[in-house]
Amino acid sequence: MAHGHATRVQTFIGDPFSETPPVPREKLESIFNDIQSDLRYDHELNGCLNCGICTATCPAAHYYDFSPREIVQLLWTENLEGVYDAMQEKIWSCAQCYTCAARCPFGNSPGGLVMIMREAAIKNGMESAKNVLRPFSRVMLKLISTGNQLSPDMINKDHFADWGPNISKVQAPLKVLRKAIPMPTLNTTETAWEVNLKTSVELYTIWEMTGVLDQLETVDENLFDVITDIMDEKRQDLEDWQEENAENDKD
Amino acid sequence: MQTNCGERLTGHGSEWRDSNLTPTDARTATAWVEQRIDKRSMLTNKDRVEDVRDAMWQLEKDGEIVVHRIHDEHEPITVKTLYGWDKRIPTTQLWHHKSCGQCGNIPGYPASLLWMMNQLGKTYLDETDQTSCTAWNYHGSGIGNLESLAAVFLRNFHQAYVSAKAEGKPEGYYYPLVHCGTSFGNYKEVRGYLIHSAELRERVKKILGKLGRLVDGKLLLPEEVVHYSEWVHVMRHEIAKRRVIDVSNIRATVHPACHVYKMVPQDAIYEDEILEGNRVAVSTGVMMALGAQVIDYSTWYDCCGFGFRHIISEREFTRSFAIDRKLKVMQDEAKSDVVIGHDTGCITTLDKSQWIGKSAGKEVDLPVLADIQFAALACGAHPYRIVQSHWHASSTETLMEKVGIDWRAKKAEFEEYLKEVQAGRQENLYDPRRRITSGPGYQKIEARA
Repeated sequence: MAHGHATRVQTFIGDPFSETPPVPREKLESIFNDIQSDLRYDHELNGCLNCGICTATCPAAHYYDFSPREIVQLLWTENLEGVYDAMQEKIWSCAQCYTCAARCPFGNSPGGLVMIMREAAIKNGMESAKNVLRPFSRVMLKLISTGNQLSPDMINKDHFADWGPNISKVQAPLKVLRKAIPMPTLNTTETAWEVNLKTSVELYTIWEMTGVLDQLETVDENLFDVITDIMDEKRQDLEDWQEENAENDKD
Repeated sequence: MQTNCGERLTGHGSEWRDSNLTPTDARTATAWVEQRIDKRSMLTNKDRVEDVRDAMWQLEKDGEIVVHRIHDEHEPITVKTLYGWDKRIPTTQLWHHKSCGQCGNIPGYPASLLWMMNQLGKTYLDETDQTSCTAWNYHGSGIGNLESLAAVFLRNFHQAYVSAKAEGKPEGYYYPLVHCGTSFGNYKEVRGYLIHSAELRERVKKILGKLGRLVDGKLLLPEEVVHYSEWVHVMRHEIAKRRVIDVSNIRATVHPACHVYKMVPQDAIYEDEILEGNRVAVSTGVMMALGAQVIDYSTWYDCCGFGFRHIISEREFTRSFAIDRKLKVMQDEAKSDVVIGHDTGCITTLDKSQWIGKSAGKEVDLPVLADIQFAALACGAHPYRIVQSHWHASSTETLMEKVGIDWRAKKAEFEEYLKEVQAGRQENLYDPRRRITSGPGYQKIEARA
């Protein structure tokens, strides 16, 4: 990125009539650097002739002020202000269908670039990311603490009223209906399938070692606290079992 | 430009200007585009396409990785992918990589698959040492990263590799079969990055090492990432031999899943005799083999509207897109009797988004099933005990009536069966003790007698 003697316009982003404080150029560069340094970046962005086939086929463009072509152009031309602006709201419109990637004659993946930008928004603790992800906390709690993203008890009329009255067309307690599924791993209500304690602790180790828990702490500190408490207990349970098992093996 | 209730649609950037084409010219321009987007050449017209498996074999040769091979004992069947490359699909000794959305919300989806495998005499393992791929959450929230996705992929596939030891069988005995389209697309994308990036391999190797999930000190990668719909596809003629219900009067519309054929498109199966090779072959192939009519429709390439994040927190988008761009088109244009899919999110979205349409005067009444659920029904599976159609919000009963299944009687049978279940006498597709292969609850094979 070349920027020798910056003008005031280049130094700050911001509407001169807005009361929102301008974003320092260093901050913009730092965020852009987070995006550009992702090892997928050069694979997902190869050039752009503005043909717009990505936007023409984009489902989100039907309903939102969102254009994959615009996202690619902002990144390709290193428009730092535009990139920052798109990260406030637009990137969260993308439906992640990758039709754009399948169609792009250059082999770009606008959907993939959006993912890199979403990660950067979280890493930098952007308010947009926090707002957008608030309704996702149930899924994250379930996923990080159990290894499953969805469970039968999450599908209920309170959360999915627009799905209509037929959560199940056979009336019986959820527990009984789940036991009637002829796969023994699925006789559960709080997880989609029965997850081994060892398995969920292994997954938690992956979250820890890959910085995912740091991401979580940045966007939702309370959820982070809840999850770490749950997982500390699970780890202890597994250690207790391992000790007990080792003693039994000796006997 | 399109208008909607007088409001202009956005999404084209601030510098966008209307072309002001006449209606005739606009139709001509659209026809030109449609001739191309409706063809397979739209996906193949790329400069840089590589078969990542070549680099994978080289890495193994260089001693960098170990490849979980598909052996003759897996009875593989070879198919052709987008560019005519070979892909081998194992058909037995399979490790079920379950889908959280299917298991949580559409349990008849995996149950139908396992039931069909039992019918065909195929062996498998369905166990508790598996996590979600975490990609639904990742694509929806951005929580996660390439490293975490790669580590989860390698952990689950390593478990598939070693799982048979719990039954006294060798490593590599079971081969992973991925149920979810999102897991399938995500794993293939991540596999590509793992093969190309020594840095990523190094980073995840530390994690897999800590978990005790390396093979001879190396990362384990699968020879192929295989989706269940590919298994259904290669088994379609065997499945069709077991058909007991005539489905030839059924007009089916297939929704191809984005993460199955748009992510890493070069790995998707195409067959010249299936819609002239212009559509991904899975699902359409089995429907044709079963004798149903597969009806093409103009928005076949559109996504379902799931959106990953949207299905949770912006369902206005999800249901509008699902109704306007998919369901209404299937119903009004194709006169469809059933929507067939091969992915978790799509089935959920298309099934659950119909009821709310009434509030906007958009009546839609289309049964939605996965290909394997339809196949199981056609082969005589119980609509409730196996296909578990009671979890579907859409009118699966209408479909059953059209093919002559007395769903009321079947439902009554199931309600009776629930009393047996309550008394602890449920029937399973396999021995429940097999589900735990290590850790708390594991019972050694010799102690199972």
